[in-house]
Amino acid sequence: MHYWRSFDELEQAPEFREAVKREFPNDEWDRLPPATRRQFLKVMGASVAMAGFTGCRWPKEEIVPFAHRPAGRTPGVAEQYATSLELGGAALGLLVTSMDGRPIKNEGNPLHPDSLGALPAVAQSDILGLYDPDRSVQPLLRQSGQDFVKTWDDFASWAEGRITDSGAGVAVLVEPSSSPTVERLRRRFSDVFPSAEVVEYAPISRDAERRGTAIAYGRPLRPHPHLDRARVIACFDADPFFDHPASIPLSRQFAEARKPSPDGISRLWVAEPSFTITGGRADHRRATPASQIPRVLAGLARELVATHHLELPEEAVNLESAFGATIFDDDFIPDLAADLMEHRAASVILVGPAQAPEVHALAAVLNQGLGAVGETLSYTDAPDPGRPDHVEALAGLTARMVAGAVETIVILGGNPVYDAPVDLGFADALSAVPNSVHLSHFNDETSRVCSWHLPRAHALEAWGDGRSWNGTITLRQPLIEPLYGGRSSAEVLAMLLGESPPSGHDLVRETMDGYLDAADFEASWKRALHDGVIADTAAPAVEVALDGSLLAGAVASLTEMIDAPAPTVQGPELVLRPDRKVYDGRWTNNAWQQELPDAITKTTWDNVVEVAPPTARELGLKEGDVVEITSSGATLELPVCIVPGQAAATFTTTLGYGRTAAGSVGDGVGADTYRLRSSASPWGAAEVGVSRTGKSVALAITQDHFAIDPKGFGARNSRIGILIREASLDHFLADPEVFHHMDHHPPLISLWKDQKYPGEQWGMAIDLNACNGCNACVVACQAENNVPVVGREQVINQREMHWLRVDRYFKTEPGVGPYEVDDAEMVFQPMTCVQCENAPCEQVCPVAATQHTEDGINAMVYNRCIGTRYCSNNCPFKVRRFNFFNYHKDLTDTEQLQFNPEVTVRSRGVMEKCTYCVQRIQKVRIAARNDNRPVTDGEIVPACAQTCPTNAIAFGDLNDPTSEVSRLREDKRAYATLAELNIRPRTQYLARLSNKVGGSEPAHHAPAHHDDADSHGKEG
Amino acid sequence: MSASDPMARNYLDNTSDDPTRRAPLVVGDNDFASVTETVCRVVEMPKTPPAWWIGFFVSVSLAGVLFAMITYLVTTGVGVWGLQTPVAWGWAIVNFVFWVGIGHAGTLISAILFLLRQKWRTSINRFAEGMTIFAVVCAGVFPGIHIGRVWVAYWLAPLPNQMAMWPNFRSPLLWDVFAVSTYATVSLLFWYMGMIPDLATIRDRAKSKLRFYIYGILSLGWRSSNRHWHRFEMAYLLLAALATPLVLSVHSVVSFDFAVSLIPGWHTTIFPPYFVAGAIFSGFAMVVTLAIPTRYFLHLEEVITLRHLESMAKVMLATGMMVGLAYSTEFFIAWYSGNAYEGFAFLNRAFGPYAWAYWIMVSCNVIVPQLFWFKRFRTNLVVLWIASVLINVGMWFERFVIVVTSLSRDFLPSSWGYYSPSIVDVMTFVGSFGLFMTLFLLFVRFLPIVGMAEVKGVMPQAHLKDVAAQGHGDYHGDILTERGR
Amino acid sequence: MSTETTTLTDSPAESALFGLVADFDKIDEFLDAVRKVREAGFTEWDTHTPFVIHGLDAAMGIKPTKLPFLVFGAGLTGCAAGIGLQWFTNAFDYPFLISGKPLFSLPANIPVAFEMTILFSAIAALVGMLAFNGLPRLSHPLHGSRLMKRATDDRFLISIEASDPNFDHIETRELLQSLGPLNVEAVEA
Repeated sequence: MHYWRSFDELEQAPEFREAVKREFPNDEWDRLPPATRRQFLKVMGASVAMAGFTGCRWPKEEIVPFAHRPAGRTPGVAEQYATSLELGGAALGLLVTSMDGRPIKNEGNPLHPDSLGALPAVAQSDILGLYDPDRSVQPLLRQSGQDFVKTWDDFASWAEGRITDSGAGVAVLVEPSSSPTVERLRRRFSDVFPSAEVVEYAPISRDAERRGTAIAYGRPLRPHPHLDRARVIACFDADPFFDHPASIPLSRQFAEARKPSPDGISRLWVAEPSFTITGGRADHRRATPASQIPRVLAGLARELVATHHLELPEEAVNLESAFGATIFDDDFIPDLAADLMEHRAASVILVGPAQAPEVHALAAVLNQGLGAVGETLSYTDAPDPGRPDHVEALAGLTARMVAGAVETIVILGGNPVYDAPVDLGFADALSAVPNSVHLSHFNDETSRVCSWHLPRAHALEAWGDGRSWNGTITLRQPLIEPLYGGRSSAEVLAMLLGESPPSGHDLVRETMDGYLDAADFEASWKRALHDGVIADTAAPAVEVALDGSLLAGAVASLTEMIDAPAPTVQGPELVLRPDRKVYDGRWTNNAWQQELPDAITKTTWDNVVEVAPPTARELGLKEGDVVEITSSGATLELPVCIVPGQAAATFTTTLGYGRTAAGSVGDGVGADTYRLRSSASPWGAAEVGVSRTGKSVALAITQDHFAIDPKGFGARNSRIGILIREASLDHFLADPEVFHHMDHHPPLISLWKDQKYPGEQWGMAIDLNACNGCNACVVACQAENNVPVVGREQVINQREMHWLRVDRYFKTEPGVGPYEVDDAEMVFQPMTCVQCENAPCEQVCPVAATQHTEDGINAMVYNRCIGTRYCSNNCPFKVRRFNFFNYHKDLTDTEQLQFNPEVTVRSRGVMEKCTYCVQRIQKVRIAARNDNRPVTDGEIVPACAQTCPTNAIAFGDLNDPTSEVSRLREDKRAYATLAELNIRPRTQYLARLSNKVGGSEPAHHAPAHHDDADSHGKEG
Repeated sequence: MSASDPMARNYLDNTSDDPTRRAPLVVGDNDFASVTETVCRVVEMPKTPPAWWIGFFVSVSLAGVLFAMITYLVTTGVGVWGLQTPVAWGWAIVNFVFWVGIGHAGTLISAILFLLRQKWRTSINRFAEGMTIFAVVCAGVFPGIHIGRVWVAYWLAPLPNQMAMWPNFRSPLLWDVFAVSTYATVSLLFWYMGMIPDLATIRDRAKSKLRFYIYGILSLGWRSSNRHWHRFEMAYLLLAALATPLVLSVHSVVSFDFAVSLIPGWHTTIFPPYFVAGAIFSGFAMVVTLAIPTRYFLHLEEVITLRHLESMAKVMLATGMMVGLAYSTEFFIAWYSGNAYEGFAFLNRAFGPYAWAYWIMVSCNVIVPQLFWFKRFRTNLVVLWIASVLINVGMWFERFVIVVTSLSRDFLPSSWGYYSPSIVDVMTFVGSFGLFMTLFLLFVRFLPIVGMAEVKGVMPQAHLKDVAAQGHGDYHGDILTERGR
Repeated sequence: MSTETTTLTDSPAESALFGLVADFDKIDEFLDAVRKVREAGFTEWDTHTPFVIHGLDAAMGIKPTKLPFLVFGAGLTGCAAGIGLQWFTNAFDYPFLISGKPLFSLPANIPVAFEMTILFSAIAALVGMLAFNGLPRLSHPLHGSRLMKRATDDRFLISIEASDPNFDHIETRELLQSLGPLNVEAVEA
């Protein structure tokens, strides 16, 4: 994706040529002399022609059932196909919208257990990777530092010569995969080449969980919490709403359990080093250094056993010797313990993947003791129980490579040179291996060390399959022929087994033989492809019994962890986490993800180190100051971002940045924190060195920096309670009007007679009690509405273009200065155009470029706009976005294939904003009119609502009293933001409910007594 | 009065306030011919002085910078400025309001002082009117170029177009279009009309054919016929009567751009009077800034006298206090309204990230003019000049404070921002001064910068011995008129 | 210079004569002269002064001009045009819903209507003045006059046109001579 980093890049010709060159698969281009104008034109022409091509390619295998439409394809009418995407060892079900053979949008597959119709941001952005002009376009052979363009057949014959008889000296390094086909091929490979080894590695995995359950139960298990059944949830450094393969079902279950009801809602307790979106939803949260989590959990265990006389299963009694004293001087642990005891069998304790196996084991024991298992928690067998941990496995492989035992290594996916633990020295080991092959989307860090680079097929280009987190078989079908002739890892595995050219289609069908009804295979196969999943293939829950001997063995190391000293400013702690945007670095070249504001820090185009305000003050750090972090021998410079709710003396940063061979977008963005990552402690380190460099950088932050002048700080805090209304459930049940008493203003009267709004009147309701700030809606909007990416510098200039943003506020104690805040609550508010009935933006536009439609949408007429920007000034929500430059000018032809043809691509000098996805409204309207029926409620779904994991967004007709949105707006929790301006927003918010122990007055509640003539937040 | 006058520090000082005597508005031993000579000398200089050439060269090159910046802007996008969300209006609008404000002094001096029979206006009004036109030209540049798609700016005019759409007359911006263009037109008419007799003078003194024809055409064949003078006066009176409410309306409408919006700090009813006072304030400051060097270089001390400058200092003192009052009223209302957003908007101005700008504004606009309580400073050209320059600076910052601080922090803290200009912003503003000075220098070189006909009218020689026979005299403001009686 | 020389040098045929011009440099003398000329019953005569002289209109007996009525009419037209334009464009020809406001409301129309009023009347004032004065007129016999050159500087002139019924080259010249001018000049048509 190309975007403007600076004005010098306005003249793009060289980059453009470069991009086209990469896109045009013909080795002649690799030897292009400095291009002349003639060649430039030639290339342009060629690439345009090529674009035409790719546009009208259909999958050759003509067995693509329609997910939504009956057979019979109409050009210009979008269709959706069910397929899937592998992420973190589990498959996510997709419904991909395809326009004339061009996949343009990823949405969730409602039938899939892990997506339920929704998708996390990363999975939606993945479609941009399909059209990435930086993708590698042909197999390359590197010899004596020179690249030679080869064909797949060249590779096939080469491989034949290398991987022979028993496969001695051959190693295959694969990414973890849930694909039955890959599994089958791996088995076959091991059968054919017994002495070849197959190693699995990923920098980010849930191995600790595996090992933990193995310690507790004697075999690796996969825990499945059921948050809808839990009344008490305790998360220890766990982020089930985001950093979990099943984050969507978990988020939705939690949202369900938080729906206000007389018999209470669930309560969430969180102890974590730095804010996660889960922490943001917590009723009680303690910022706890990662190293202290074991102590907290042990403290809890002790409290449960000592105070509440919880009977631990006798296999676990010897653990009790390890239970230390609690570290908090307040009631966090006692209250939590009491709460857990009160809700035995209705509570669950979750521990994050970054915690040691022993901690998971302890949690498992407690869950067992609290009777969670079978109620709020169930286990299934972990796949491939025999496999070693990833880090272990890679260490072993590297050792053998160094020893020269490996002649030929085939790396299928992944990027170990970049993301292997530093102390392994994998890169050097690899370059020592005579024959190395790397299959990858990009010619990346690892490819550059390997002798062979093979272009990998994008998920939407290849056949495949996978299993959801709960084991449900999920199919993957291509929506487009490989743009650059890439192949999937399954296909390459098949090639190593002598199949050439391999047919992914056949491979998958063969695998599916085992799972589909053999009697009528074709029919069930089509059914499976149509649904994207094979019903009832989820793994069964298993009976579990604790294993006393293993647990006893864990006591020693557990005790050690529990006694770990707390970090101090002199000896601070480093915490490494997967990035919420680029994950482990695989989306570093994805411009949507790069520009997506991080859920917590709101930073873009960078990885920062999160620091608690008091720690920052102690070290004299300001936001944007660059610190030097020294750990496991490496030092790294990172900018500071001050975040309340961060554990003291704890420096949290994320992985996946600082890439050197990611592509034009990702290269050199952020710092490579993998260099601080050792195989011994992959998730952080104690006693790291942190020193100021004196340097300071501007962070590309889309929302106000936390630490500002006292005046602004005070004003902001005083407004949060009114913008994002929150009360305890008890308080709300006692006084349902509580949310409407939170702001007071004179009665709202107009100077003129109010307009009548007959017919369909669109409106929206956003439930802040469900929203957890995961950012999925932001990307959905970007993909649906062709929202441009503006790049780092423009974000620093506060010119980001997102129509929909998620406002994040920290609630701090009144009267506490910015740098005194040691703990805070966090609230989210998705903010986009609220379609005011008395829209302030409309009356100030001199050319009437924004005006009201008869169905109540505040329409933006792009081709009428002359760009006075007055509307933006007069918008109290500042949700209008202005095209300061022509941000689309430099997109390559391939990138343009992703555009949604139903939405205008805005030119320079034009204002743009959310229109409730008016194109979707019209589409449904026309369809309804054609079969002459009224539009039914819920038929029109804006992109943001469609992808919301927690169903927080409802859209519909306000004039239809039975519609969901009307119902919600009648809810006592519904209120209009800034109602006192008499702008009458069409989007209303539903207030947040907290469920603290013993309830509590809502924060920032205005004094109850007030003039009865006053009106309240309900207006609008 | 003459040099022998005992109470004059020197013959140029006509600032004494002796109620028994009509203070002379022209000093020195001037008769009609010498006034003509003094003023026309400038226009008829055989060869242009090097000082003029230097000034002209500098101004023109700065104007060149302006046009270079505009070209860059139009070809690249408004993004070359420091604008962003939330601050979508920046220096361009600040400069617009700044220049329009300055553009008020001329018409004000001409029209309002005329209606108020302030005879002292005659020596400076031509000059001030000229300045008005040039300031309005500079002002006109900015709204034109600040829009995102300059090439469709004509959609602002109610012209039939391919979309069959009309502009939206509910928008203050459109009111602005009408107000400013009307103001520019009327000021131009007013200025030109007043100049006709003097152009005729130059025509009649013309030595070369070329001059004769050029000024002949410009003066429309004026024959100084009294039958013409009669209608001329009436027309002038009418224009003055029309221009006066116009001056007040124009800046009021400009202030509507802000007052009609709902942004805290903009949404206030005090803006129209406050803006008008500010405009007059800055306008007079600019007149003084230009008059002092001009009268020195062009030896006009006897016509643009100390008394004129002193009177302007008094006006600045008065308007400066009005502006000061407005500042404090704003704060009071912000507090009194009990509206939290309003209250914060003003606290933020004075103590927020832009406090520096706010305090520059206050010290230049409220504190500096207090000097003018003292005659010593009013009549000290150096002090007067420096003060007037500071006032111009302060008035620019007033607009900056209003436009930028209000926008930078409005309702939702999530969208608060901090705006800082780009180099292009700065160069564009500097360039606009180049344009202004270029036009001004051309004016002083080729047009009569003092209304000779008017000045002669207020000279002692022009007064009759027999007062009973006095007729009307609106044109230079004699109170006793036929219709006046 | 003596008046004789000036007067005798040129004695053109009546036909070719535009009229006679006399110049003064003292306002009071000039005003007396003006009154005398008026008493002599001339109609086609005029005075030329570098600036407005108090009482001159009275002395010449000039009636107030009609200009104000013209300007008033123009003003009304402008106001009507302003309001009409806004009604036609926003409420009649292409109505659109803006901020839930009425399509046509006077308060929002006042500024534009006001500006239009001023614009129309201002233009009427200047154009009307020029039209009534018969300007621009670039060639006029008086421009040929030598004395006229100083009418824009420091001299006060009386001109009597030959077209006046009471005009007689000799008598009129003598009348002017008797008023004590600096010069008397015959101006050719």
